[in-house]
Amino acid sequence: MSGADRGMVRLALRITYAYRVSVLTTAGLLVVEVFLLRMIWTSVYGGQSSVDGFRLDALIVYLTLVNLQMFLMTTPLAAHIHSRVRTGVVFFDFVRPIGYPRQMLGIQAGTTLGQASLLLPAIPVAFLAGAISAPADAVAALAYVVSLILGYGIAVLLALLLGMAAFWTIEINGITLFYRFVSQFFAGTMIPLTFFPGPLRTLADLLPFRFLGYVPAAIYVGVLDQAEIPRTLATQAVWMVVLAGLFGLTWRRAQRRLVVQGG
Amino acid sequence: MFQRASIRGAMQYKVNLWVGIATGVAYQGTGFAFVWVVLQRFPSLAGWTLAQVAFLYGLRLVAHATWLVPMNALVGIEWLVREGAFDRYLLRPLNPLVQLLTTRPMRVGGLGDLLTGIGILAAAAALADVRWTPEVIGLAALAILGGALIEGGIQLAIASLSFRLLTIFQISHFVDDIFSRFGSYPLKVFGGTAEWILTWVVPVAFVAYVPASVILDQQMRLAPWAALLPPAIGIVIFVGAYRFWERQLRHYQSTGN
Repeated sequence: MSGADRGMVRLALRITYAYRVSVLTTAGLLVVEVFLLRMIWTSVYGGQSSVDGFRLDALIVYLTLVNLQMFLMTTPLAAHIHSRVRTGVVFFDFVRPIGYPRQMLGIQAGTTLGQASLLLPAIPVAFLAGAISAPADAVAALAYVVSLILGYGIAVLLALLLGMAAFWTIEINGITLFYRFVSQFFAGTMIPLTFFPGPLRTLADLLPFRFLGYVPAAIYVGVLDQAEIPRTLATQAVWMVVLAGLFGLTWRRAQRRLVVQGG
Repeated sequence: MFQRASIRGAMQYKVNLWVGIATGVAYQGTGFAFVWVVLQRFPSLAGWTLAQVAFLYGLRLVAHATWLVPMNALVGIEWLVREGAFDRYLLRPLNPLVQLLTTRPMRVGGLGDLLTGIGILAAAAALADVRWTPEVIGLAALAILGGALIEGGIQLAIASLSFRLLTIFQISHFVDDIFSRFGSYPLKVFGGTAEWILTWVVPVAFVAYVPASVILDQQMRLAPWAALLPPAIGIVIFVGAYRFWERQLRHYQSTGN
């Protein structure tokens, strides 16, 4: 990692820290959300200890994890790219000595470091508001880590691709926010995908958002069948490769497009 | 070339407008989709059916939009104050708050909420067999007005803090989120302590839960006249908030900004 890489990471870290009030507020709302979900789900279970194979205590751990995961997977990249395109300064990003993808990864790394450190004090509170337990078993624990890392990669790539759209479309301000709500819903942050009705479940299984929340968390609490784990992780890996390839194709075209339009 | 640019600009504005509304609908929509999906699978939430929860959800949303649409300008106040742009309003003879609320271009924030809220409320009322007698219409109207005064008043008080603190946006956002999250579900789900706090400390319960319970004839310890509490509490809160605003404004003016 060169000095320039470290510079990008440090910059992103500083910017995240500058927005610490906002990040901390979000962390606070995360705790509130986990509490709210726990109470609602406990209420609808109505005394039953398990529904559709999902035990209530496992469900609350799932909800706690999924919301923490989504917090860490929040990425500024889409909004960042849109803003740079809108103001025209994106041109400078393309002529820097570090390649464009590496710059974006540097920004993401710095942001995640900053967000994670600000989240740290909220984690035990989140566990209190919700619940935490040990992973279902050693296999689940290992698979969880792998799934989480792949999920993070998918989240970042999706954000990058959304950012790339800024080079082709009319500038749409609200699209990143809209995207966040949709992705959070289909990641299963409020409802595990197992409870989605038929057609909605089919849709959710086609979309990659489940890898950001539902899939890792379901592996952790043991809801995902052990036999299914290898295939699921493989699917995640394939998604990552495909998305990375798409981004690889797109950013160069974006750069060319910018030059042609006299950026 | 200029024509193309201006058409592009106009198109962009319209696209932004629709995306703004769509985003608002998506935000409220995912909250409501949660309720909808859960109550497809489970029979009820603390004794409230899907239609009843939807009614509560819609009622709260309409109350929220009722203060947000006219008072949307409050959202950006901290930037106005920080940049000194707010001082303009102090130079003119008209009430600064009125100026703030009327001279800023309308933002689409509240419209999405209003549309979604009315839609959900109407549909839910039909499904929950709510008969719109004059009495019920009156109760609902009082509820919406009361809820708007309560939420709007609290947000006005928070906005007043922008004269003292550098940033209040996060406080405003956090409080708004609490009202939005907890106000849309039957409060008894949250258990004794939380329910008490959300009724008597932070009056979330009175924005929609109490009036909805009365209209839907849900068993409540309070008598039907409890539906009159929201506007009463709302007026008290709003008047108090306005006095607070005036006091902060006087302080701001006197410290020679």
